[in-house]
Amino acid sequence: MLLAVLFSNSEGNILIERFHGVPSEERLHWRSFLVKLGADNLKGAKNEELFVASHKSVYIVYTILGDVCIYVVGKDEYDELALAEVIFAITSAVKDVCSKPPTERIFLDKYGRICLCLDEIVWKGMLENTDKDRVKRLIRLKPPTDV
Amino acid sequence: MASGQDSAGTTLMDLITSHPSEVAAASTSSNSPAPSSTLGKPTTMERKPKRASLMQIQNDTIAVAKALNPVKAIPQRQNRKPVSYAQLARSIHELAATSDQKASQRQLLHHVFPKLAVYNSVDPSLAPSLLMLHQQCEDRNILRYVYYYLARILSDSDAHGLSPGGGIPTPNWDALAGIDAVGGVTRADVVPRILGQLTSEASNADVEFHAQRLAALKALTSVSASDSDVVAKLYEIVFDILEKVGDTKQKRKKGIFGKQGGDKESSIRSNLQYAAISALRRLPLDPGNPAFLHRAIQGVSFADPIGVRHALAIISDIATRDSYSVAMALGKLAQPGGALVDVLHLHDVLARISLARLCHTLSRARSLDERPDIKSQFASILYQLLLDPSDRVCFEAILCILGKFDNTERTEERAAGWIRLTREILKLPEAPSISSKDNTQSRDALPPKPKNDKPGLKSKRPQPLFKLAMRRLESSFRSFSRPVLHAAARVVQEMGKSRAAAYALGVAGIDEGSQLYTYSDNAESIDSDLNNGSQTEASRKALSLSNGHGGKDTIAGLLGSLLEVVRTTVACECVYVRAMVIKALIWMQNPHESFEELKDIIACELSDPAWPSALLNEVLLTLHARFKATPGMAVTLLEIARIFATKAPGKIDADVLQLLWKTCLVGAGPDGKHTALEAVTIVLDLPPPQPGSMSGLTSVDRVSASDPKSALALQRLVQAAVWFLGENANYAASEYAWESATPPGTALMMLDADKMVAAASSRNPTLAGALTRLQRCAFSGSWEVRIVAAQALITIAIRSGEPYRLQIYEFLHALAQGGVQTQFSELQLSNGEDQGASGTGLGSLISPMLNVLDEMYRAQDDLIRDMRNHDNNKQEWTDEELKQLYETHEKLLDLVSLFCFVP
Repeated sequence: MLLAVLFSNSEGNILIERFHGVPSEERLHWRSFLVKLGADNLKGAKNEELFVASHKSVYIVYTILGDVCIYVVGKDEYDELALAEVIFAITSAVKDVCSKPPTERIFLDKYGRICLCLDEIVWKGMLENTDKDRVKRLIRLKPPTDV
Repeated sequence: MASGQDSAGTTLMDLITSHPSEVAAASTSSNSPAPSSTLGKPTTMERKPKRASLMQIQNDTIAVAKALNPVKAIPQRQNRKPVSYAQLARSIHELAATSDQKASQRQLLHHVFPKLAVYNSVDPSLAPSLLMLHQQCEDRNILRYVYYYLARILSDSDAHGLSPGGGIPTPNWDALAGIDAVGGVTRADVVPRILGQLTSEASNADVEFHAQRLAALKALTSVSASDSDVVAKLYEIVFDILEKVGDTKQKRKKGIFGKQGGDKESSIRSNLQYAAISALRRLPLDPGNPAFLHRAIQGVSFADPIGVRHALAIISDIATRDSYSVAMALGKLAQPGGALVDVLHLHDVLARISLARLCHTLSRARSLDERPDIKSQFASILYQLLLDPSDRVCFEAILCILGKFDNTERTEERAAGWIRLTREILKLPEAPSISSKDNTQSRDALPPKPKNDKPGLKSKRPQPLFKLAMRRLESSFRSFSRPVLHAAARVVQEMGKSRAAAYALGVAGIDEGSQLYTYSDNAESIDSDLNNGSQTEASRKALSLSNGHGGKDTIAGLLGSLLEVVRTTVACECVYVRAMVIKALIWMQNPHESFEELKDIIACELSDPAWPSALLNEVLLTLHARFKATPGMAVTLLEIARIFATKAPGKIDADVLQLLWKTCLVGAGPDGKHTALEAVTIVLDLPPPQPGSMSGLTSVDRVSASDPKSALALQRLVQAAVWFLGENANYAASEYAWESATPPGTALMMLDADKMVAAASSRNPTLAGALTRLQRCAFSGSWEVRIVAAQALITIAIRSGEPYRLQIYEFLHALAQGGVQTQFSELQLSNGEDQGASGTGLGSLISPMLNVLDEMYRAQDDLIRDMRNHDNNKQEWTDEELKQLYETHEKLLDLVSLFCFVP
């Protein structure tokens, strides 16, 4: 189960979050836990360098892309490596939409389309589309395989 | 880093602060925002506007509420008017009405819809306009947003704005609609309409609306699974689609991702297959419904890799409940050349993970015991996944082989897993065209033919699984990727668990020193039906060839070199990776091996302040789990736990540590109890922490508590240890007053104190040692420790027989009067506290304890006197006397239970 996908800016303000199967009272903990992880480790990190953490049987993989920190949280089959796949799908879609690692401004300019991409990549707590061209087609309401 | 003055404004709020029309005008002149100078001001400059905008979030939410409740609305007084939710909503209503105009479309696409995305829920009152757009608008980009928002309205099932959307908080729309008497729209009003419109679209077979059909189906899956009517309708739609397109006549074209080529019809077919099976995966699994299995099995042959992934996930789920049906339904697909085997090369990691899990379930299924041929077929596919190019898939295969599936495996399964990994051989099924004999001959005679991919080359000769797994893990540990390191360490940990299980069950023939290929004989005798004779011969030959280079190919040799790499991974700067490595080492530690290295690693690690406390406690819990798997390691594990207590006292949860102590003590068995108690209480022998003076010392036996916080925590730990000692000393020493061999009042009591102590320690060194420690704590610790120590002493006094009780009585008596102070003065370390008039400040605490002991001794004297009288006079005990005895007993029991539990 993919429990959460979070985007924050470098100051730790949350830009986008998608939770699945996390009770609302626990979300606050996750937000602060993740943002603190990022604040402690992502300073000076390279774009798309992957970081890992775990808490009991829950895994966390996070990275930075431009000015935006991306965190994914999962359990069971979504272990560190599966989450690395998820984060790769997300970063490639974001880079595609923003045409480069985004500044915060560009990210917010493209906010709507990023939400649509995310909708195609993560669907009800599961990873769906990973190929960026396919995501690109789907957010324009074109079928996955062109007719 | 965000830059310049412009970036200061780029917050979520700025996305919506500015009226759509203004931005529309601005953005036509400059489509992309002018890039501001990258030499911008430091980021701290951005803080303030951000905080301000956080405030705005609230204002905005209020504005929404006000706008929906116009009577109380107050005009906004800001220079830059933020676009309130209400304004966005109004724009949608207006623009939806004129959606045929290009300008309206642009507005919707570039301003209104993206801004709406910022809010964490969607007002149901927008639904009518969204549905109108859904019906009338032809712009695909706009329609995509429409599906997105319709899906979000459907998924906001709790209607409290707590949907997984995130973003700027929104009010409870339904409640607002209730306040707003006229024209309030609730979810309940619009959801049936949305469902109706989407359902009819999802059932529309018109090719013109193909893409919309897929999107509608996807949006429909957002509905909550508890809505059984809608779920039933969805099943109907999905199965209806699969009925028409599920049957795949032509085989999937291999290895091409996304571009199946082919004609329009097959593309449409493939898309529908994908959409339907994807939707099915999101619906609750209905194992009783044969259509589920049937359609999922068809899904294995779908052209769309993601469709195959979902099909396999569904099958794998069903297989855990009904392995037999699944195996029968898969039938030919699982044979060489079948669609299931093709998944080995499918370009989808998650599909191959599901394949591994499915094959594991079927190869271990009890219900298939009658069909070893089928089981070995699936086992063979699982073993082939060890060669998978993706680490994720390979690791899943290793975990499955190790018997780790979910977290409910029994020890037997894990033990069998270790045996499997160390004994089984991967034999690639021969390609149907070449006979096995030719193949092996050519292999023996010639160097392997060059092939494009390395795994293919390697796989040509049979390989022991263990060797493949070890090689793979070793190479993973050389990776620079933290997730890979973390995952590899986790796999090693699971390996350790299975190995510990095998040792715990004493599975015969765990000889890690023997050459690997000797195991192939065993393995083959186990599943000899896998091989015909010639193949066995060939594989053995190949194996002995591949194992030519000496003793390194023993299990122990391979493990040793793996663990060497694992240990070096402790140097990774990521603390989570290190934690996983330590857990792996704890599990791979064998009881009979020296654990000095592990101890050093841990001691060294714990000096690093970067360790979060939650992580340290997780490692402690690993020790606990390891102990449960191997009770014989109690002492080793306690010694490791002590390092935690001394090195990082501030970060350890005393409860977790006590749990570990207790389980280890109880589990250590009669022989180990003494050592276990010693290992715990050695904490008490450590020199007290002296802030500042300890820097530079990294010895295991020195306490690191340089800051006041950890000094305090250490003290709590010492308290916990003292309490633990009092509570468990009698158990560890097997000394109980009510089981004592020597009756009270014997010659021992006539001795003076020194001789008594000597006699006592020779009789029960465990208890004597515990008493000495407690006595030291009772006057040289801080007062919190002294209190706990006095309580611990009285507990032991009450529970123990003589001479211990008397010894403690004397000690407590002296302590209460301050008399011992002179006696122990050379031991007295000043702790800077006023000791009080009683000498130790414990007088008020100790006197009731002494009273109880006085009572006990008095009752005991009375009893002895009575007994003697009765014996001398040859009297029978009268009822009255017995009653009195009973009452005395009850009274004492009441008194005693104020201090501790006695049976």
